[in-house]
Order: sequence, then structure tokens, then C-alpha cells
Amino acid sequence: MDTPETEDAQLHKLHGGVGKRQPGKGSLRPGAGLPGPPRSAQHQESPQQCSLEQKGRMNRLYDMEPRVMDDEMLKLAVGEQGPREEAGQLAKQEGILFKDVLSLQLDFQNILRIDNLWQFENLQKLQLDNNIIEKIEGLENLTRLVWLDLSFNNIEAIEGLDMLVNLEDLSLFNNRISKIDSLDALVKLQVLSLGNNRIENMMNIIYLRRFKALRTLSLSGNPVAEDEDYKMFICAYLPDLVYLDFRRLDDHMKELAEMKHQYSIDELKHRENLMQAQLEDEQARREELEEHKAAFVEQLNGTFLFDSMYAEDVEGSKLSHLPGVGELLEAYKDKFVIICLNIFEYGLKQQEKRKAELDTFMECVQEAIQENQEQGKLKIAKFEEKHLLSLNAIREESELSNIETKIVEYSEDITELLNVLMMLEMQLVEQLEETINMFERNIIDLVGLFVENVQSLMAQCRDLENHHHEKLLEIAINVLEKTVKGEMDEDLPDDLRSLFVDKDTIVNAVGASHDIHLLKIDNREDELVTRVNSWCTHLLDKVHKDEIMRNRQRVKEINQYVDHAQSELDSLECGDLLD
Amino acid sequence: MVQAVLKVISSLDSQRHARMEVLKEKVEEEEAAEREEAAERAERGEKTKRPMEVRRGEATMTQEMLRDLERKLSEIEVSVPEKLLTFTKDTIDTSKLPFSYQSNTLKEEQLLQVADNFSRQYSHLCPDRVPLFLHPLNECEVPKFVSTTIRPTLMPYPELYNWDTCAQFVSDFLSMVPLPDPLKPPLYLYSSTTVLKYQKGNCFDFSTLLCSMLIGAGYDAYCVNGYGSQDLCHMDLTREACPLTMKPKETVKEQEKAPPKKYAIKPPRDLTSRFEQEQEVKRQEAIKAEEENRKKQEEARLLEQENAKTDPLHGLRVHSWVLVLSGKREVPESFFIDPFTARSYSTQDDHFLGIESLWNHKNYWVNMQDCWNCCKELVFDLGDPVRWEYLLLGTDKPFLSLTEEEDEGMNDDDDVENLGKEDEDKSFDMPPSWVEQIEISPEAFETRCPNGKKVIQYKRAKLEKWAPYLNNNGLVCRLTTYEDLECTKALEMKEWYQNREDMLELKHINKITGLNVDYFKPGHPQALRMHSYKSMQPEMDRVMEFYETARVDGLIKREETPKTMTEYYQGRPDFLSYRHVNFGPRMKKLALNSAESNPRPMVKITERFFRNPAKPADEDVAERVFLIVEERIQLRYHCRSDHITANKREFLRRTEVDSKGNKIIMTSDMCISFEVEPMEHTKKLLYQYEAMMKLKSEEKMSRHQAWESELEVLEILKLREEEEEAHTLTISIYDTKRNEKSKEYREAMERVLHEEHLRQVEAQLDYLAPFLAQLPPGEKLTRWQAVRLKDECLNDFKQRLIDKANLIQARFEKETQELQKKQQWYQENQVTLTPEDEDLYLSYCSQAMFRIRILEQRLSRHKELAPLKYLALEEKLYKDPRLVELLKVFV
Repeated sequence: MDTPETEDAQLHKLHGGVGKRQPGKGSLRPGAGLPGPPRSAQHQESPQQCSLEQKGRMNRLYDMEPRVMDDEMLKLAVGEQGPREEAGQLAKQEGILFKDVLSLQLDFQNILRIDNLWQFENLQKLQLDNNIIEKIEGLENLTRLVWLDLSFNNIEAIEGLDMLVNLEDLSLFNNRISKIDSLDALVKLQVLSLGNNRIENMMNIIYLRRFKALRTLSLSGNPVAEDEDYKMFICAYLPDLVYLDFRRLDDHMKELAEMKHQYSIDELKHRENLMQAQLEDEQARREELEEHKAAFVEQLNGTFLFDSMYAEDVEGSKLSHLPGVGELLEAYKDKFVIICLNIFEYGLKQQEKRKAELDTFMECVQEAIQENQEQGKLKIAKFEEKHLLSLNAIREESELSNIETKIVEYSEDITELLNVLMMLEMQLVEQLEETINMFERNIIDLVGLFVENVQSLMAQCRDLENHHHEKLLEIAINVLEKTVKGEMDEDLPDDLRSLFVDKDTIVNAVGASHDIHLLKIDNREDELVTRVNSWCTHLLDKVHKDEIMRNRQRVKEINQYVDHAQSELDSLECGDLLD
Repeated sequence: MVQAVLKVISSLDSQRHARMEVLKEKVEEEEAAEREEAAERAERGEKTKRPMEVRRGEATMTQEMLRDLERKLSEIEVSVPEKLLTFTKDTIDTSKLPFSYQSNTLKEEQLLQVADNFSRQYSHLCPDRVPLFLHPLNECEVPKFVSTTIRPTLMPYPELYNWDTCAQFVSDFLSMVPLPDPLKPPLYLYSSTTVLKYQKGNCFDFSTLLCSMLIGAGYDAYCVNGYGSQDLCHMDLTREACPLTMKPKETVKEQEKAPPKKYAIKPPRDLTSRFEQEQEVKRQEAIKAEEENRKKQEEARLLEQENAKTDPLHGLRVHSWVLVLSGKREVPESFFIDPFTARSYSTQDDHFLGIESLWNHKNYWVNMQDCWNCCKELVFDLGDPVRWEYLLLGTDKPFLSLTEEEDEGMNDDDDVENLGKEDEDKSFDMPPSWVEQIEISPEAFETRCPNGKKVIQYKRAKLEKWAPYLNNNGLVCRLTTYEDLECTKALEMKEWYQNREDMLELKHINKITGLNVDYFKPGHPQALRMHSYKSMQPEMDRVMEFYETARVDGLIKREETPKTMTEYYQGRPDFLSYRHVNFGPRMKKLALNSAESNPRPMVKITERFFRNPAKPADEDVAERVFLIVEERIQLRYHCRSDHITANKREFLRRTEVDSKGNKIIMTSDMCISFEVEPMEHTKKLLYQYEAMMKLKSEEKMSRHQAWESELEVLEILKLREEEEEAHTLTISIYDTKRNEKSKEYREAMERVLHEEHLRQVEAQLDYLAPFLAQLPPGEKLTRWQAVRLKDECLNDFKQRLIDKANLIQARFEKETQELQKKQQWYQENQVTLTPEDEDLYLSYCSQAMFRIRILEQRLSRHKELAPLKYLALEEKLYKDPRLVELLKVFV
């Protein structure tokens, strides 16, 4: 056991890391963090300190079958680890709910499979070390977990930790893990213990760069730790690390390591920065699109609509090869895009207007509610002052008749308070109703105006389309005439030529293209109008509902309070009568 | 008088024309005019006796009254010189004054001639006006023009850069001497240096000094010769309210109401009767008006009483003050400064009854405007020659654009002046001041008032001032306010302190209520800011305020009454904001009753907390009350932002035993709670038990803290008493005169330096000097001589070393011999010796042995060092600048 350890490492052990053992029991447990002799040997070294019970337990460890984590086991553990003495009596009397447990210790239980932990919603510390667990599972509900100890098990892969976003301390010491991954969700990770595992590849360390809070790491006892460059490499790639294998990393070492690996790290950093920038770009784009969607004019700030009109239009693209149509199409596109842009800008502007309107409304409503609440609080504070005095007075009064008059007075006060508070609330309800109605009118007007204007702009689009259609038709008929007369000097593509058989075909083809375009425009318009209208209805619904909810809450609160005051009085009466 | 005189010049324009014509006449005629004037002057007595038209509303005086007055005045005049004996030319040692004081330069003589001429013309043109105050005599009986007496000086003290502090300094520094004749300007005007030296002066001395300082500081300032009210001339402030007693006007800040927002809710309908409201308002107004009326009448009555003693010489008293014109140093409006009181007045003020003339260091102007309505209608545009007649051309004042006619008049004016003095330059500048540089020593500046003390009597108030460090308790200023005009019943006293070690700044004593309030500057050892008390006994009414940032516990204020103690906190990590402790009657215990040995039992502790943002509102305690006697704990939580009621919880501590004899740990009736939004976990007994245990330990803590607070109060009171007793003053480390420590240190440093210097001189002893002296002086050394010199020097030194060694050796031998002899003697007589002799012998032996050992050591050390010393000298000689050239080849 005489492993050379620095003070730092010992300190660290006290603080956390792998060697976190309850004092007093520590000597009985194998020094989990120490790459020492095997466990069994250690146990044999200190048998004289073991109590009988623990000896028995220890024997069980090797003799017994794998155990199941059932309710019984959990209850036992919770009971044992719960409060002591007087509080313990109370706890026993009442029973402890699993969801109230903050810390749970299940070591040396020969557990094979983690199970039945779903009730421990508020668990912060879980110790499952020295079992025979092979797979990390069943921890999905323990989202508040901060400290997880899975050392001395038979785990082969890191998994099942995706929900533990609050985890800060993870120990997987002495397992069979060969690759570090699946830890992405653990953004708060500070201590990671992976000693005595089977990690071979140095590149695993680069994966740990993403944990900005990571300060302590242990990897000793892995094949990777035998590499002579092991320490340097980690120092260089994890510059924020403070403790490695329970020893403090000194600054000199860090400098040396940085110099040694400077080039590769710079390269890595460059790549990381690029990735980061890319991610940010994407994020920004997504946000912009969201914003446009909120304004109901997404993808109108470019050629998207125009392109989509031609995307499914087979005839249209064929016809575009006709002489003269190319230029026509260009001009048409330009004009169309300008109108689209107009709609887009108008939409954004309107969105801002609506937002401002909504904000002022919300602000005013908040203010009104706040003011009303202040008044209510004032009334209650006044009442409470009086309430204390009168309760005391009643208590001290000895004459029965006086008591009765006082009680009557007091209950009158309570009724008065109820009336005042209710009146305040009713007043607020009336005021808010008026305001909400006004807001409703305004917002509907705004939306109506928006829809109207967009529709007129869309009509312009349609006009353009109609115009284009006429022109196209004219050209097509000209070409047809020429083809019929055989005067066509240019070569047309075969599929296009096939359209120019007779007038009907060509007219139909041009018409079909036109119809598709109109349909696209109509669809876009419809989409916009429906969405803005549904937004409006939702918003108004929500405003009304919120107000109703608020009103109910308040009325309930008032009643509850008044009931409480009344019941206090009643209990006093009973007490007096009993006396 | 001046009213009468000035009345005459009311039709100024016509007079001016007349004057122009007159001035064209020959000198003889002028002289004739002078004669005439002299005659006129003889008649002046008559003239002044003309019934005066004193200000409206006052009774006109009869001639008899005036005669009476004259007589009385002459009587007064007799007494005045006696009073002034302390400050006349007799007491001034004129012999040591510089030359410029004792004579006039050529230019000054010229200037005096110009002034004389101007004066002649002036008296000719305005025969009714008093002669001008142009060139009074100085302390050496030499006439000096008033403008040259002004010596613009910028003082080296930053405090004296602004007019108010400047004026305050002048008014504090000089003590006032009334004019010898209150109706005439003085005959003498001393230099400011003399005035500063004797710290005494009349109003002219005051204003000359102040004017010099203000002009030096860049103000457009002028000395004014005019007429002032009696109060002004006698520096009588008893009718003025003390500026320190006036409360600063509360600036009424009207908060701008934000424009009502679009969706602001409408206020609930007002159902009260408007008519009734109006009636109510009317009634209130009527009452108010009545009250005001009464007040006004009262005031008028008081005013009448005060003004009962009207001044018979009103409007005749000569006074001098300072005028500051707008423009320079960002002065927005012209104003007067009374140099006696350092108060500024508007130019419309009632105290200033008229202006004769004014001057600065460059020029002299005579007022040509009518002063019938005091100074209220005067226009201070010195560039306007109609209103202000200047003495010298070439003033830097902008001239008004004049009409052609007047322009001609101007030229005529110049011509006439040329006629008077033909060699006179057209733009004659003022000669430089004859006064020496005005200097105020730092000590004098700090002491300020003569003897460092000054008392000013105000209306219902008395202000006393002392120089810092004059009083050994640091008192620098005391303001006593009185209830009555006679100043017999003191109302309250304010004392300002400076440089106190306990940082006491102001002591406010209310004589009626007996309430003392001490204010402290930051830096008190207990971070005290304010301490108000009636008695220094503990457990009485008192309030202490603290600089909370200087305290670890963030205490702002502690209020005490005999039964309670209230503390206010700010910025604590536990968010405590308020603690109120109720004390019960003290238990009978021992004879000694003090908070330390037998603290009063606490009955109730109320604590309030700020909102802790880290906790949800309904779990964040807002107030907790420990009812210690009843063993109850009440908790009130903070109110959630969307609620109007807050959670409440009450713990009842009962130690009872159930039917089986087991102790009841916790039952549900021991905790009564009201929850706005009922929570599940709080229903658990375990939770309640834990909460109660925690509260109990916190109760202990609170009691302990309250007890500590009590102790602290005792400690502070003790400390305050000690401080009051000791009242030590701090001395800045920059104050080299007062700081004893630094003085000592400096002296020590000087001594060390001196010693160092001596040592250096010693080190530079010349070895060659005695040998060089043997050589014929003034000759250059030859090489041979140099070598010889060196050898001689070295031989000499060698000899010295040998001698020294021999000397030590000889002493050593002598000492050893003696010891041997003594030892022999001892051995021979050992048997017969008395114990005393034996002791003597033994002590001698040990001493001798010691001496021998020391000599031995010295010798060995000498032997060791001698060759080294010899070599060092040789080396030094080789390097000696006198020999180095000659010995170079040799080496």
C-alpha cells in the first residue's frame, strides 16, 4: 500500500476523485484510486479491523449470486443511510419517499444490473462501486445527479449517461473501458476518473478537450499511461487540467508540454475554431430564418418563390428555349423578385409593429396587475397588523361576553377584507377586459392590413405572370406559325419541337405552365394568410386564457387566505370553549 | 449730503456742454475758478446744512437737528483718534519701508499732477460734489494715487482663487477699524503690505487689499468709494440672519410623468362629489390666507420694532467696497462685495446708498449718475463717458459708439487736458504700483484671524471662529443660535472640529431637548457616522449610524431605547436587513448591573431579510420572530411576484411526554403553517423537525449577536468617552512644522549626514602632506623627488607600524611581568593571607589575564594586518594623482 503519493494527491482524494470513501470505513475498502495489489489481497491485509458483520458481507461478495436491485434493497439502503437519532425516529415513523433522497450508497452489493432507480428524481450522489455491473443503464431519470461512482465494476463501454447534464464528478475506475466517448452531455464535468481501464489510443484524450470545466483526470493503469510522452501529451492537449493521476501539474511542466506539442495543437485549435465558426454561422442563419418565419415572409427575400414556380414546371423549362423567351424570362424574373422583396420588407416591418404593440400591451397589463397587487398587499398588511392585536386581545380576554363581541368584530373584519380584496380584483378584471378588447381590435386590424397589402402585392405578381403568359403565348404561336410554314431557321430541341404540332398542344402546354405558376403563387399567399391569422387567434386566445387563469388564481388565493384567517379564529373559539 | 450733491448733477447733459466751454478757457481763468472754488469750500459748511431730502418716507430734518448732529459728530471725532492710536503712522516703523514707499517717481509725480488737474476741473464743474478721493497720503506721508496702491497679486494658495474665499480671507484676516471721520474718506491710505502686517484696517484698506487679490486672480474688480448704510459701515451683522443657519432651499423636483401608454388601464370611476371637493378646497384656502395674513402682520410688527432706531446719518456714511463686473472669470452678473463681512450683494441692494468714484489698478472713474435711488439705477458701463468720467485715456473698456457731437466733445476734452499739461502724453498709462509684493506666510494664512480668533454677531446667532490647532480639542467654529434678539436664551449650538483623531466633524447640541448629535468623518475606528444621544449612559435613547462599507457586518444604523434595540443592515451575505430586540426587566442577581455581567433578558427578537434571489420566494424567509419566553418562532416568507399573500409558519416548542412516557419529538400541532400554494414536502414531520432544529440554532445565534451588539455599544461609549477626554489631534505627514516625529526624523537624518561628511573628510587625509610641506612650495615635483617622497612616506609608515607593534609588545611584557610577580608573592604568602586579600588577588589575576589576552590578540592582529596596510599604502601612493605621472615609468 506504500504507493508514493504527493500531498496534492491526498488532498484531492479527500476532496473527491476516486478515493471518496466515508471516513471510518475507508480502511476497510480497497484504495480504489491506488494502483496497488488486487482487491482480495488488500482485504486480507486488514482483516483484524473488520467487524463481524462486514466480514460476512465481504464473504457474501464472493460467495453470493448476483443480486437484483429491488425495492427491498433500496429501502434498506435508504433507511440505513437516512437521518439519525430523533430525526431518524421521525423518518421511520413517516417513511422516506425515494424522491426525497439526495444521496444513495449501494456498494459491495454484488449488483449486476442497475435498475429500479427511476423514483430517485432528486438524487445527487450515487455510489455503485464494487459491484459487478456490466452496462451503464437505468440512470435516465436521475437528471439532478452530480456525483456518480461506478468504479470497480465490469463496464466495457461508456453509455447511458446522456441525461445526466448536471454531473460533475464521474468515476469509472477499474473497469474494462477501451474508448472514451458518449460523454457529450456532461457539460459540467469537473472530475473524471478512468484509471485501471483498457484505453490504448492517445487520441482518446483529444475527445476530452470539449469539457471546459474538467480539472482532474486520472488515467493511470491504462496502456496509454505507459507511453513515455503520456504526461506531456495530456498537459499539452488539456491545458486547463490541474490534477493528473492525483498529482498537481506544475506550470513548468505545462510550458514544456506546450512547447513540445505546439504545432499539432495549433493545427487542432485552428480546426476547432473553423468548426466553431461554422457552427455559429449555421446558428445565425437558423435564427434569421426563424425570425423571417415569425414575420410570415420566409424565403421571399430572393428568387426562391420564382425558382419553385419553375421547379415542377416541365413545359415552362422546355418553352424557355424558344427564341426570345430567355430575355423575357430574365426581365420577368427581375420584376417578380422585386415584388417578392417588397413583400418581404413589408412583412418584417409589420412584424416589428406587431411586436411593439404586443410589448406595450404586455407591459401595461403587467403594470396594472403589479399596481393592483401592491394595493392588495397593503390591505393585507394592514389587516394582519390588526389581526395579531385582536387575536391576542381575544386570547387575553376573560369575560365571555366580551370575547363574543370581539369575535364578532373580528369576523366582521375578515369579511370586510374579503370584500375589499374582491372589489379590487373585480375592478382589475374590468379594467383589463377593456384593455384586452382594445388590444384585440388593434391587433386584428394590423393583421388585416398586413394581409390586404400582401394580397395586393401578390396580385401584382399574378399580373406579371399573366403578362408573361400572354407574351409567351404570342411567341409560341409565332414560332408555331413559322414551324408550320417551315420558315423556322433555328434548331429547337426535340422535346420542344414535339410541342409544336398543332395550336392546341402548344396552347395547352403554355397554359399548363401558367397554371402551375399561378398555383404556386396562390399557395404561398394562402400559406401566409392562414399562418398570420392562426397566429393572431392563438395570441388572443392565450391573452384571454391567461387573464382568466390569473383571475381564478387570485380569487382562490383570496379565499384561501380569508378561510385561513377564519379558521384561526374558529380554532381559537374552540380552544376557549374547551378552556 | 450726497443725495443733495448728486441732485445737482441730475441734468448732466447740459452741464457737460457747459463744462466743455469752460474748459476751453485759459489757465488763468481756471485759477480764478479755483479761487472761487476755495471760497465755495469755505461755504461748504453752509451748504451741507441745507435741509436734506432724505429718502422718501423719512421725516425731513430741521437745521437745528443738523447742527446738533454736527456738534455730536465733532465730539465723536475727538474720541476716534484715541481709539485708533494703535494703528496710526506713529506705530508704524516707516524707516524700514522700501524706497518706493518714501518717495514718488517722476511718473508718479506726473500722475499726481494729472490727478490734481482733473480734481480742479471736476470741482469746478461740479462744485456741489465732495472732493474726489484721489491721492491720500501713505504711511510715509507721501501722497500716492489710489490706483497705484492696488497691487494685483495672485496668491499661491488655491483656496484664494475664487472671490468668495478671497473675500472671506480678507474679512477674517484683518480686524476692522472705523474711519476717523465717518463722513469723509480717510486722509491716509496705507499699503496693503503694512495693513497685512498689522492685521488692521478701515474699509478702504480692506477693499484695496481685496481688490488687489481679486484682480490678481483674474476678476474685473474695482474699489468703490461711496456711501453705505450704518450696518455696513460698522460691520454690524446683528440684523442679518446668519448664513449658516439658513436652510438650503429644497429643490423641488417634479418628476416628469411619462406619457400614458397606449394600453394603460383607465382608473376606476371616481364617485365622490366634485362640488364637495371644491367647497373643501375653498375652505382650506380661506384658512391658509388668514394664517398668512396673521403671519405677515406679525412680521411687519417685528420689522418695525427692529427698525425703530433709524440712523440720523443715513446716506452720509462713507464706505468703501469692491465691485466685480461681469465678463471675466465667467462672472454672469456684476455684484458688490462688502470686504468687512465678505458677503456679496446685488448691485440693487439697499445697503449701498451711492457711489462717488471707483478705480482699479489702471484707471479711475467718477460716477456722473444720480444716486437718488441708491445704486439701483446705476449702469456699470465704464466705457460710457456720460455716466462714468474717466481720469486717464487708454482704458481697456470698450467705448460706446458715440454720436458725432459727443465725439467732438471728446476731442475737446483731450485738447483741454493738453492745455493743462502741454507735455502730457495723450495716453498716459498708470505707473506701476509702489506697493511691495503682497505676501502672506503660510502660518498667517492658516491662523487667519488676528490671534486666530473671531466672533461675529448675527441676528439671533453668534458665530465664533478659531484657527485650526488653536484649540487643543480641535474646535474651529461654533455657531450658537438664540431664541430672542438679545441673545440670552440659547437654542442650539453647533461646533465644528478639525483634525480630530476620532474624526469628529460636527457636534450639534440642542439646548432645549438636550439632544446631542455628533457627526463623524469616515475613518473612526468603529466606523461611526453619527451618534445622537442625550446621555452617555448605556441603555438609554440613542441612535448610532455607521459607514456600513467600513464594517464587516454591514450595520447602517442602531437605534436604542431603554427597552429595545433596533439595527439596520445592508449588503450582508445572509440578507439580514433588520433586527429588533425587545428586552425584559433585568433579573435580580448580583449588585453589579451591567450588560456584561448580567445582560437583560431578551423577550423577542424580530429579524427581517432582503429577498435572496437564489431561493424561490415562497421558501425565502422575509421575517422571523423569536418569541423567546413563549418558545414560539414565527416565520413569514417573501411574497411571490404573482401573489398578494405570503406563506406563514409558526413553530411551537413543547416538551411533553406521551402516554407511554416517551418524549414527543415532533407532532403536527407544533407547526402551524399557511401556504399560498400548498407544498407536499413541507407537510412532513421530518421536514418540520429539521426546520425547527435549524431555527433553534439560529435563535441562539441571533441572541448571541444581539448580546454582542450590546457589548459593542458599551465599547463604543467607552471609546467615545476616552476620545473626548484625550481629544488628540492628527497632524498630516506633510505638515512639517507640527509633525514632531518627522521633525525628529529629519534632524536625525541631518545629523547622520553631517557625521558621514566628517568621516569622509577624515578618510581623505593626505599622507603626503607632511612630506610635501618639506619641499619648497610652488615647485613642480621632479621624478627623483617623487621617488624619494614615496619612499619617505612608506618608511615613515613602516616605522609607525613597528612602533605600534613595539608598544603593544612592551605593554604585554609589562603586564606579564607584573602578573608573574604577583603570583610569586601569592605563593610565598599564601598561608598568611586573609580571605579578602585572596579575593582581591584572584580578581586581579582574572583582570590581568584578560588584559594580557587582549594585548596578545591585538598584537597578533597587528602582525597580520601590518603588511597588508603597508601594501595598501604603497598601492595608494602609486595611484596618487600627484605622483602617478612620475612613478609610472618606475613601475
